[in-house]
Amino acid sequence: MARAKTDDFAARGSGWWQRRRTRELALVACFLLPSLTIFFLYRVLPLGWNVLLSLQYWSPLKPARWAGLDHYEEMLIYDEVFWQALKNTLIFIGASPFAIALALGIALLVNGNLKGAAVYRSIVFLSYPLMTVAVGIIWRWMYDERGGIINFALRESGIIAKPIPFLQSFEWALPSVIVAEVWQVLGFYMIIILTGLQSIPPHLYEAASIDGAPRWAQFMRITLPMLKPSLFLCVVIGILNSFTSFDLVYIMTNGGPGHATELLITYIYKSGFGQTKFDYAAALTIMQFILLLLLTLLANFIAGGNAGSLEHR
Amino acid sequence: MPRWTKNRWVIVPLTIAVMVLAWNGYVALNAGGDVEGRVVDAAGRPVPDATVILLERHFVMHNERQRTHTDSSGNFRFGGNDNHSLQLEAQAAGLGRSERRVVRLWFRAQNVRLSEPLQFAGRLP
Amino acid sequence: MQRRQTFLRHCALLGICAGMLLPFYWVLKTAVTNENIYAYPPRLLPASPHLFNFVDVWYFIPFPRYLLNSLIVSALVVGCNIGFNAMAGYALTKSFPAKRAVLLLFLSCMLIPFQATIIPAYLITSKLGLLNSYFGLALPLLSTIVCIFVFKAAFEAVPQSLVDAARIDGLGEWRIILRILLPLSKAAIATNVVLAFIWSWNAFLWPLIITRDPTMQTLPLGLARFLSYLEDTTGALYAFAVMVLVPSIFVFLMAQKEFIRGLTSGATKG
Repeated sequence: MARAKTDDFAARGSGWWQRRRTRELALVACFLLPSLTIFFLYRVLPLGWNVLLSLQYWSPLKPARWAGLDHYEEMLIYDEVFWQALKNTLIFIGASPFAIALALGIALLVNGNLKGAAVYRSIVFLSYPLMTVAVGIIWRWMYDERGGIINFALRESGIIAKPIPFLQSFEWALPSVIVAEVWQVLGFYMIIILTGLQSIPPHLYEAASIDGAPRWAQFMRITLPMLKPSLFLCVVIGILNSFTSFDLVYIMTNGGPGHATELLITYIYKSGFGQTKFDYAAALTIMQFILLLLLTLLANFIAGGNAGSLEHR
Repeated sequence: MPRWTKNRWVIVPLTIAVMVLAWNGYVALNAGGDVEGRVVDAAGRPVPDATVILLERHFVMHNERQRTHTDSSGNFRFGGNDNHSLQLEAQAAGLGRSERRVVRLWFRAQNVRLSEPLQFAGRLP
Repeated sequence: MQRRQTFLRHCALLGICAGMLLPFYWVLKTAVTNENIYAYPPRLLPASPHLFNFVDVWYFIPFPRYLLNSLIVSALVVGCNIGFNAMAGYALTKSFPAKRAVLLLFLSCMLIPFQATIIPAYLITSKLGLLNSYFGLALPLLSTIVCIFVFKAAFEAVPQSLVDAARIDGLGEWRIILRILLPLSKAAIATNVVLAFIWSWNAFLWPLIITRDPTMQTLPLGLARFLSYLEDTTGALYAFAVMVLVPSIFVFLMAQKEFIRGLTSGATKG
């Protein structure tokens, strides 16, 4: 048997090699097929279909008619809820730099050989893998006027005299939801920044200390620039989070009061599955996707291009 | 012992499975649906032939399910309980109604014996 | 000076941890307390705590049904994820004509968040006849790009000499994968399991769109549905929330390292 194999190796006739290569290619194709099918069915095809839907008048029972840009016109010119949702989404995104700064502070505190650092990290990260629906219920209870601890603490310490209905007031509803979202995602930011911090070669700090640079300058000139990829990733996650915080808003306020906490994603859900206006919801989705791309490109540009990564990695 | 058995991915699910099986075994053994207790008056004397009512929780209301009478030493016993949230109340001629005792069980049809007897506010003559 | 600094660091970290743990404590206290939870001022410690709220939630919701649904869907997702992602990761370690195009396709799919696809995804699933079914619930999550790259990196880390020796010995492709590559990629498998479990367990928007029957709902849906039913003065709703959180916390504590590695591998992949 071995001899026959050696003969085959030696022969390397085109027949054997071709068959083997074809088998290998067939194997690769088979192996890639399930994943590619899933991604095609649930990422590529829906995106294309969304574009198509947004340009049609379509409802489940009637045939499609061409609409051109009518939906976009209705959205951009006549729909106040869209602009409110857009504004809310942008405010949501605007809060992420503060969250990232806080996570940076925590990461700096926890970095290095501090006793019990692993426990601190676990506690801060604990909130991330939780079910967002449960987080929404927890924070709804925290903000409650009678049973919630936030109102209780504020009243006991004398800051306010009457309880604030956080989730029912026009000014406080969106910040309240943002606080809940920051509580959940803070651990994730911290982990990403920690990974970035730990990949900074220590000899840079040593060289800077020998040269007499103060800690503050070391932070600004060494730490921050080398953290740019991690910070960029945090910003992208923050942008994505504002698009995916459906669960929190649905549980805590359902977009209310009025549309004060309506995000683009909740408005898409309500249009598509509440009012069954699938075509309008598709147009909204395309707008949201374009916004996502624009913001990511903008963040990339601010980070100095190339996802903020440095030349020597 | 092979090393893979010391892996936490093996030990923890196994422990959980064992605990679940043990709990289900305990439940199966103790789910007879018996509810027993005693009825006494304010002085602690047993009240014979009092009517004891078993109420079952249904959302926010409690509905009467069974009635029985205490025997000569004031003991009563219900069988066939299949709920986990009950109330018990006793009534006797001349003593009116007793307190309403809330009984919450760990699983449906758990056999339970009241630790404190149902007490009337008044005394037997 | 150094000790004072360390002391201050610990103080700051303790304060932050207290802030992060406060919501947990508050909900736990509300779930076990035996008083009217809407009474003001709320007590800081539970009053005569009892665990019977959990029994009530178990029987009244019914919790076991939703738990079973969530478990089945998660098991489907985890199982298929490991299979499909390992296969795709292995295929990506080979070189073949359209490799760059496929890689580009995968990377660009990462940019398309699930929320940008919900309407057509619903239409596609209904055309496939999979609405309101376990498979339909699991379908969009059956393969994730981050995990494919985790497997790819793990397979590429296996020394090529090992694979070559196995090939010369005459082992077929399947044998090589099963006997050599997979046992050496245990970390990648664990990461995949944890990530797939957490994502499928916590999924809310997709089950919300797909399910019609109350009996097919998963845990997050059950929790949301009973938000209004269970808001009485006894804290049963918060007992439900605690019961729902326990599996997530448990899996997190068991598999922290794998979870974190999976999340950050996507970060450092670029």
